[in-house]
Amino acid sequence: MVIFSRFTSSWKHLRYFSIEVDEGNDNEFNLYYVGVEDHSEGEKEQQVKQEGKRRRERNGKISGRTASEKRSAVTKNSDKREKKHDKHQKTARERRGSKTHEKRRKRNNADEEVVEEECSKEKNVKNERTKTSKLEDEKEQGGKKNKKKSVKTEDVDRNHGKMKPRDCNDVPTKEKTKNRKKLETISEPESKSDSESDLESRDDKAVGVLSSLTPEELEMLKEAMEEKKKLMATLRGKPWPMKKKLIILRESQEFLEKYEGALGKGKGRKLYAYKVVMMKKWMKFQRDFENFKTACIPWEMKIKEIESHFGSSVASYFIFLRWMYGINMILFGLTFGLVMVPEALMGKPYGTLPRKTVPREEEASAMNFAVLWDFGGYAKYSVLFYGYYNNQRAIGWLKFRMPLSYFLVGVGTVAYSYMVVIRTMARNANEEGGGDDTIFNFSWKAFTSWDYLIGNPETADNKFASITTSIKEAIVEDQESRKDDNIHLTRFLRVLANFLVLCCLAGSGYLIYFVVRRSQKFALVGLEKYGWWERNEVNMVMSLLGMFCPMLFDVISTLENYHPRIALQWQLGRIFALFLGNLYTFIIALMDAIQLKRAEEDIVKTNMTIWQANLYNGTVPDNSTAPPITVHPADVPRGPCWETMVGQEFVRLIISDTMTTYITLLIGDFFRAVLVRFLNNCWCWDLEYGFPSYSEFDVSGNVLGLIFNQGMIWMGAFYAPCLPALNLFRLHVSMYLQCWAVMCCNVPQERVFKASGSNNFYMAMLLVILFLSTLPAIYTIVSIPPSFDCGPFSGKSRMFDVIQETLETDFPAWFGMVFSYASNPGLVLPFLLLLVLALYYLQSTSKTYKRVNMELKKKLQVQNEENKKKNKLAALKAASELEQATNAVGKHSNTDSDLGMNENDNSLNETQQHRQKGQKSRYVHPSQGQHNKDPHPISSTHTTTRPPASRSRAVPGHLPGNPQQPQRNSHSNRR
Amino acid sequence: MASPAIALAFLPLLLTLIIRYRYYFVLLYRAVLIRWVRDCLSGISREERAYQYILTHATPGDPQSILDTFDQWCSKVEFISNIGPKKGKILDRLLQDHCPLTVLELGTHCGYSTVRMARSLPIGARIYSVEMDERNAAVAEKIIRLAGFDDDMVELMVRPSDEVIPRLREDFGVERLDLVFMDHWKRCYLPDLQLLEGSGLLGEGSLIVADNVIFPGAPNFLRHARRSGLYEVRVHRATLEYIRGIRDGMAELTFLGIK
Repeated sequence: MVIFSRFTSSWKHLRYFSIEVDEGNDNEFNLYYVGVEDHSEGEKEQQVKQEGKRRRERNGKISGRTASEKRSAVTKNSDKREKKHDKHQKTARERRGSKTHEKRRKRNNADEEVVEEECSKEKNVKNERTKTSKLEDEKEQGGKKNKKKSVKTEDVDRNHGKMKPRDCNDVPTKEKTKNRKKLETISEPESKSDSESDLESRDDKAVGVLSSLTPEELEMLKEAMEEKKKLMATLRGKPWPMKKKLIILRESQEFLEKYEGALGKGKGRKLYAYKVVMMKKWMKFQRDFENFKTACIPWEMKIKEIESHFGSSVASYFIFLRWMYGINMILFGLTFGLVMVPEALMGKPYGTLPRKTVPREEEASAMNFAVLWDFGGYAKYSVLFYGYYNNQRAIGWLKFRMPLSYFLVGVGTVAYSYMVVIRTMARNANEEGGGDDTIFNFSWKAFTSWDYLIGNPETADNKFASITTSIKEAIVEDQESRKDDNIHLTRFLRVLANFLVLCCLAGSGYLIYFVVRRSQKFALVGLEKYGWWERNEVNMVMSLLGMFCPMLFDVISTLENYHPRIALQWQLGRIFALFLGNLYTFIIALMDAIQLKRAEEDIVKTNMTIWQANLYNGTVPDNSTAPPITVHPADVPRGPCWETMVGQEFVRLIISDTMTTYITLLIGDFFRAVLVRFLNNCWCWDLEYGFPSYSEFDVSGNVLGLIFNQGMIWMGAFYAPCLPALNLFRLHVSMYLQCWAVMCCNVPQERVFKASGSNNFYMAMLLVILFLSTLPAIYTIVSIPPSFDCGPFSGKSRMFDVIQETLETDFPAWFGMVFSYASNPGLVLPFLLLLVLALYYLQSTSKTYKRVNMELKKKLQVQNEENKKKNKLAALKAASELEQATNAVGKHSNTDSDLGMNENDNSLNETQQHRQKGQKSRYVHPSQGQHNKDPHPISSTHTTTRPPASRSRAVPGHLPGNPQQPQRNSHSNRR
Repeated sequence: MASPAIALAFLPLLLTLIIRYRYYFVLLYRAVLIRWVRDCLSGISREERAYQYILTHATPGDPQSILDTFDQWCSKVEFISNIGPKKGKILDRLLQDHCPLTVLELGTHCGYSTVRMARSLPIGARIYSVEMDERNAAVAEKIIRLAGFDDDMVELMVRPSDEVIPRLREDFGVERLDLVFMDHWKRCYLPDLQLLEGSGLLGEGSLIVADNVIFPGAPNFLRHARRSGLYEVRVHRATLEYIRGIRDGMAELTFLGIK
């Protein structure tokens, strides 16, 4: 029975040491270390002397009185197998050179130091214990101390290091204490007696040991594994420092890895190995697949890199850009697939109709290079623009309804955009928690301001600075909220700033209006007489104003002395107003142009009849049955086709806008950066830090530019189906260009604002722009009749007549009837009413939910506070009880039973007492050899030697928080 | 030919630039234009004019009065690049904290900073002040004497700094510099710092204070100080002397010793 229990203990040690080893060494030479480690380990508390001697022996300094004698004495009790192991171990040890050992030891020491550091803060108790062990050591060593000083100090160091991890493992939490206690209770008494031999059995592979284990031991192993698994599952919730968690996790994982496979037998083991391999393969595959998925997201890595350098606000722009790219992809797919491709494939080819031919007077310049950016000439008379499409109802062998498709795609793109924007907004709205987070303003600032995605030291510095300034500002704000001095000056300045901004807006509006009028004058005279500057004046001026006015606003806004966040909102609002003003000025000018064109159209119409009459009258005077005279389509007079003109204007605007953006990027960012970088070596002041410096990435300006660009696309896409394609190209290029420019010539912002907060703000702006841009488009579609000789709707009085036409001709009659009934105002009005009611209902319910949420939040807060108070009270009570209990213990005699009774009251007190007791007793009984010789290691003897381990055995009650303890004890006792 | 409308569109840019960099324009006006005009009108150098003003307005023998008068002249009348009152306070505090006994000043100019340092030094301390320009040195000497500091306290050397530093030990028996104040040519900061490192005059805890490291700026100097690992670097942020709105900084380097 004794042997049996020893076995168990050895195995326990084994398990324990495996942990120790894994902690100290990094997997390499794992087995190798195990052999060495368990020597030092086994002896570390009880047989320091032996260990020291053995090491000396290993170093070749002492040869005579070897430890083998002792070992043989010790191994008397153990069986043959162990002896075998022992010998094996010994020979192996001797074979190893002293050099290698020294190396190893150094490494061990280094590792131990690491462990030591980790544990040093845990408890002082272990230090005491170490001290006692040191004392023991010194006692035993006696006179030899001086001789072998260096060796001994090493030993001590070793012990020191070794002791700590063990102690620190068992101290911090109850659960851990439980585990460790269990280990100690069973293993330590025996390990005293024959630790060496037992441990040497450990030298073999774990499997070797396990193969000789009895079913009960296997049971225990399984149990231990279960425990480990449980620990791993609950590790996340433990109140330990992360370092410790990681260490424990690693330990447990390695333990499981080591023994899980070994538990199976024969075939099962193979199967297990197979399973493990497959699992690993599968996991690797999964990881690779995840990587692959990330790689599939377009530009993900680029954006991540930018995010790490510039923080999340800049990255938010690129994410927005990517999102926009996705939207445009769909718009492009719709227009390209349903309008442009069918027309190009199945429609009448170029040159068959006047509207599909370049007119005679333009033919000379139709292939000029300028076509590339003016989109005149052949580009104008192609599928890219509205005017090219024929009003034939169905084209090709598919009977493709071209006009209908054109109309529905126009409506569908806008509808889809609305849907996507609103859906995104709603999704983002969920993320806003609601409620006032201003209560814990400073806590928020202190604990949540860091951007964990930053990976660049410079950005980290900037972020650090911005956090400090924001905290400073918050303090100042808080102070100023109480006293507001000189409010009049601030107010005056703010009014003044707004006045200036308004002046600026008005000025820019007037400038654009002026330019547009001038361009109309030019157009009346004929654009051919003017140069490139005059022709592109409108676009140039718009782009330049859009570029420079925000700068001016920024400068003016310093007058206002707002908080940066509010200042940013004002800035965004102003830029928004500016862009909107510019855009609407442009649209108004376009409307004027449309009116002009329509007047022209009327003239052309009358001329047309005259021309036709002349044609017929002049050439074929009498014979009306003769085949009609073929006039080349290029010579046929035609109307001005205002739709194509509108589309062309938008295309030009987009192109000039894109060009301006890119040129600004190149000059403002790239050349500036190059100049600053290389001129700095020979300049009289610091260019990088001082005046020009590098540019920052202007998130707000870029986002607004993107939004307005999209607005123009929505506006013009109906009249120029090529616009989504162009925009797609533009976004694609600007993605790469801006990514490169940001990484190469920009510096991280000094003022970093939260990206997530402003995201929905962008979306809201996008929605507004979407609405504002669909207004003019809808207006033109609904109220202006289409041109008589170009486009898919030519010949109809309104563009939406195409729907009616389809209903009449392509659907059965009853459908038309149903539709006409359904569109009866008597039905539509109630339906609208119902819709409004439903909206109102939904809105009010959502409001109620919000309120309920808020109340819940408040409740939670209140509850939290109450819990805190309660906990405080409980802690106070416990403290007082503890005090009483200690007093009581002090009065009573130190019998174990008394202590045992107290144990149930407070575990903390108990463990401390254990420690003290343990040290004392060990101090009293330093030599463990006596106990080895003890033939009947009953619990009482252990109580005297090792109280922390034995107390729990002797004591009737179990350790607090460890209900299994008594059963286990009984279990081991029975053996 | 570009149209006037396009030219008008550049107006906001022009306005922005003017408003944003107005302080630099003010500096340009005060430091260059006024100086040039006055030089032409009076026929004597700027430093001489400053001395004359101080002679007429300050109390001799009172360093504080002289400094105040200097500040007044620099902010009201003309512009001279001194350390100025704000950064001067930082310097004062550093001096009080460290109580250096041997101080090397590179770039005396008019002696403003010399007077400033000398008045807050402990008894027995000594300032070695280096100025390259002879005329400036003459003015500086007059001002220092006017403030009541004698030869024992302030040793003025009219020589370039890179000649002085290697000979400091031989000529003056300096063993260790407790504080080095740099306010000469910004391009010389780095070579002089390296000279100081090589000369072995810096000991552990020696302080090197460099003015104007942000504007006009000494980027190479700062980079070296940060990367060499020999110093603990702190940059005190302030504004340029006598002109609001231009950011500037004073670098405080603590020598950690060569390891």
